[in-house]
Parts: sequence; C-alpha cells; structure tokens
Amino acid sequence: MSDGQRSPTSDGQIVVSGLTKQYRNVRAVNNLSFTIEPGRVTGFLGPNGAGKTTTLRMLLNLVTPTSGTATISGHRYADLTEPLRHVGAVLEASSAHKGRTGINHLRVICAAAGLPKRRADEALALVGLTPAAKRKFKGYSLGMKQRLGIAAAMLGDPRVLILDEPANGLDPEGIRWMRGFLKGLAHEGRTVLVSSHLLSEMQLLADDVVIIAAGQLVRQGPVEQVIGSMTHGGARVRVRTPHAEALVTALKAQNATVDADGQGALIVTGVDAPTVGRAALGAGVELHELTTERPDLEGVFLELTAGKAGIR
Amino acid sequence: MNLVRAELLKIRTTSTWWWLAVGAFVSIALAFAFNAWMASTVLGGDAETLGVSGEQATPAAQAANIYTSGQYLGLMFVMLIGILMVTNEFFHQTATTTFLATPRRTSVILGKLAAASLLGFLFWLATTVIDLVAGATFLSLNDHGTQLGEWPVQRALLFNLLAYAIWTILGVGIGTLITNQLGAVITAAVLYLVGTQVVGLLFLLLSNLLDSQAVLKWQVIWPAVASQVMISEGQSEFVPAWWVGALVLVGYAIVSGVAGVLITRRRDIA
Ligand SMILES: Nc1ncnc2c1ncn2[C@@H]1O[C@H](COP(=O)(O)OP(=O)(O)OP(=O)(O)O)[C@@H](O)[C@H]1O
Ligand SMILES: [Mg+2]
Repeated sequence: MSDGQRSPTSDGQIVVSGLTKQYRNVRAVNNLSFTIEPGRVTGFLGPNGAGKTTTLRMLLNLVTPTSGTATISGHRYADLTEPLRHVGAVLEASSAHKGRTGINHLRVICAAAGLPKRRADEALALVGLTPAAKRKFKGYSLGMKQRLGIAAAMLGDPRVLILDEPANGLDPEGIRWMRGFLKGLAHEGRTVLVSSHLLSEMQLLADDVVIIAAGQLVRQGPVEQVIGSMTHGGARVRVRTPHAEALVTALKAQNATVDADGQGALIVTGVDAPTVGRAALGAGVELHELTTERPDLEGVFLELTAGKAGIR
Repeated sequence: MNLVRAELLKIRTTSTWWWLAVGAFVSIALAFAFNAWMASTVLGGDAETLGVSGEQATPAAQAANIYTSGQYLGLMFVMLIGILMVTNEFFHQTATTTFLATPRRTSVILGKLAAASLLGFLFWLATTVIDLVAGATFLSLNDHGTQLGEWPVQRALLFNLLAYAIWTILGVGIGTLITNQLGAVITAAVLYLVGTQVVGLLFLLLSNLLDSQAVLKWQVIWPAVASQVMISEGQSEFVPAWWVGALVLVGYAIVSGVAGVLITRRRDIA
C-alpha cells in the first residue's frame, strides 16, 4: 500500500453514495447511500433480490453503476494500486477451475497480483484447508469451496474484507470458526462487511447493520440501536398459567397488553417480568412459565422489510 | 509481466493444454506420414496420378509441404487454446477472481494475448523441430537432400510462425466476443475448417452471377482462405499475392483483439 492510499479519515472506510443500477427491467439498486466504518463487523442484510450482491459487485468494479459512486478508503476499487493488498472479497457465483487444485488456484492469484507464492500456503493453512491443498476443486465439498474463497480473499492480508453470504455451506464448527475469525479481524481495526440471511448468526457477529429492501436503504446503525428502535417500550414477557382469565384481569389492572400466542401461553407487553410475577402472586395465580423474550434481529428485520417486495 | 506469468500458470495447472498438445502431435504424425507418402509418389514420377503438377511437383515444394506437416490442425489447436484462455474464465466462473486481482481489464486481455502468442510460438517451435528432424532424415534417405537452403521451404516455415501467432490471437479475440465456451469453439471451428471448399463454391456461384472472374480473388476475406493464401507460392488470376492474405489475417487479429478489449472493459461480471 502506498501512502497515497491512506488518509487518516477515510482509511478502511467504505462509502456508498447515490448508487443506482438499472438492469433492463429491474432497478436492482436504487439511490443507495451508506457508510461502513473500520474496526467493526457490519452485517449487510436484505431479502432475496434486494440488491446486496449487485451493490457489492459495484463496489468491486465488477458491475458498472448506472449512477452514483462507491469507494473504499476514498478510492474507487479500480484505482487502488494493489487491490488485493487492500481489499479481500468472497463473492457468490465466483469459483475456481474444476480441474485445478486448491493450492494452484491460489498461486495463480498470487502470480497475477504480484504476491509471494508462500502466501498461498499460508492462506490455505489459515482456513484449515491444507490437507486438501493438492486435490482438484471439483472434488471439494460446498464448505471447502467456501473456505477456499476465504483463503483467496486473505492472500493479500487486506485491510478491508467484503463477504457475500460466506457462511453458506459451512458446518456449525465452520460457522463458529468464521465468527471468531471475522470478529478478530475487526478487532485488529480492519473493515468487515458481510452479507447474510442467517440473522441469528448476524446478531452474534455484527456490530452494525445495513438493511436494504427493493434496492433501497431501510435502516442503518449499531445492532442494539436498530433493534431498540423497533421495540416500542422494551421486551415481551411470556407466561403460562392454568388460570389465564384471572391473570389477564390482574395484568390489565397494571396497564399491560396481553395476547394469546395460540399455543397456550400469554404474551405480555408493556410491563416487565417482575411486575407480571407480583401481579400473579397478588391474584393468587399459579405460574408455569415466566420468560423475558428479548426482541431479536430476525423479528426486527422481518418487521422492517415486511411488504417491501423481495423478489422483483 | 505478472499477468503473463499468471496466464501461463493457469494453462500449466490444468490438463487442457496437455490434451491439445497430444492432439497436435498426433496430427503431426498422421500428416507427416501422408505428406511423406505423397512426396515419394510425386517425386518418384507418379505426380500425374495424384493430380499434382508444375510448381507443386518440385522437390522444394514437396519439402515445404513435409516441413509444415501437422500445421493445418496445429493452427486450430493453438486457436482453441486462445479461446479456452478466455471462455474458461466464464465457464468456471473465475472471471470475478481474475478481475478482482487486476481491475484494469485491458491489462488482463493484453496479458492473455501475450501469453497466447508465446504458446503459439512454442507450439510452432515444437512442431517445426519435429518436422525438421523427421523431414530432413526422410528427404536425405530418398536422395533429395534436405532442401533447407531453398527459399520456398524457408518461406513456408516462417509464414507458419506468423500464422500460429495470428490464429492464437484470433482465438483470444473470438473468446472475448463469444464468452459461451461451446459457441466460441463451434464458431472458430467453422471459421477455420469450413474453409476453402465451401467458400470457394460460394464465390464460384457469385462469380457466375456477376459474370466476373475477378470476384474469385475476394475469397481471401475469409480467414481460412487468407491463411492458405499467405503460405502458398505464387499468385494468379484467381489467387491474390501472399501479402494480401497476411494483411487480411493481421486485420482480423487486430479487429477481434480491439473489439475484445473494448467489450471486456464494459461488461458486467455477474
Ligand atoms: N445481470 C443481471 N441482469 C438482470 N437483472 C439482474 C442481474 N443481476 C441481478 N439482477 C436483478 O437485480 C436484483 C437484485 O439482485 P441481487 O443479486 O443483487 O440480490 P441479492 O440481494 O444479492 O439477493 P440474494 O439474497 O438472493 O442473493 C434482482 O431482482 C435480480 O433479478
Ligand atoms: Mg446475493
């Protein structure tokens, strides 16, 4: 990396501004703007066909925007002097020659990018693929292919990492490994942008989220804040009791809202669990379950994107 | 330079090149056997039975034929290499990886062109060395001498080198224009194999229609005919001079190369 590529304010920052991509009969991305900060894992979320992949491909100079700009550390991808030393990417619909071995796939990239050949071995070891180094790509399992993609992205020890559904096909062990891996990279001050449909995983992994639907921005911000913005007045409490009517009456007196969940439990909102417990005690009602349900990313995501046509 | 190395590594690390090399060498062997049989018949005084006469019946012309054995199909093999160098990127979905490593797409295509020409040269060299050794041995054994001092022989060897370079570049060009692997291979095979006869027939019809013999010369605009014209001796009422063929081929190479670069620069890789 030359010093020219580093400026104190924009180093590692991804800035998308007014980005639009019009395909023949669909506006895949529509005037999209957001900023991704270094040192954090950012989840890039949206229903199928929302435009995530198209956005990432425009960011990487693979697809030409109809209008708008996307920059990494203040530069368009095509203008980075040594792109692989600055940005690593794992994209869907990218693959390797079926008849080439994993290690040779990486060596070809090293040769093209002017990286030393030993980086291929190091990157392969990093993703735990060394035992399959000399096997041909066509014999790789889905998860092994995904790991090879991550190895390719890490060849240049990049400052910025961009991943499109990287957890696809990874086993539970692999997913946990990747969570630690990506968090570690962000902790080192790198930028990590990762798209995914696995929202429970994202809740564990991401610091920030960018949610888009139908090509447009829906919400951006730290995960806690985005979740908080949608849960008016806090958590929900789930209670189970044989004397539902008596409890409902007692809770209504506390200004709580009570709904049946259809499976024999009651969902209480507007009051917290201790209040529900005290109300039950006061009414002499026996409780079989009393749990606080924290709102999760999945619920918030579904609420935010509801009605915004996914597949167009 | 990195890019040329990367392209050569791509070829070396798959088995495609190996199959093409085997194919080329088998075709050398077959063609050599045929040409040697033809030379011994023609030079043995039976030229009439094979319909060979005049300039073609001299030892030099037959030697040129022998020394370029296998180049007809060899040219097609190098063109296929050129095509595969590009279409493999789309067929195996490696274009993303390639353009991430080198976002300057013109450089990628130029790297492919350079690597392709180098491979074309290597194929020509290997073929020519085999032909020279086997041919010189065969001709000497039959008391015709090696004939290597003759200009027609030298000319045939040199122009085949040019032909190898150009057809490889054409292959890369065709690959960038038609990214579908099967489509590109079929198109190229048609351009190359459906050469002389079909086009000759069409032009014969055309010349009858227009009542003009001069039209026949224009066959040279078809690449396979141009290639033939470039390496053949002499010109006539129907056949233009060799350099016309060479110019036409170079023209095709330049046009397909430039079109390939321009299209690749604009293409969305998805
Ligand atoms: N090359 C293309 N030509 C035409 N339309 C396209 C092209 N690529 C994508 N699209 C359209 O653009 C829209 C966005 O697609 P994109 O792949 O970016 O969605 P996504 O958010 O990545 O979806 P998923 O979660 O399913 O991966 C879709 O409607 C898709 O059909
Ligand atoms: Mg996608």
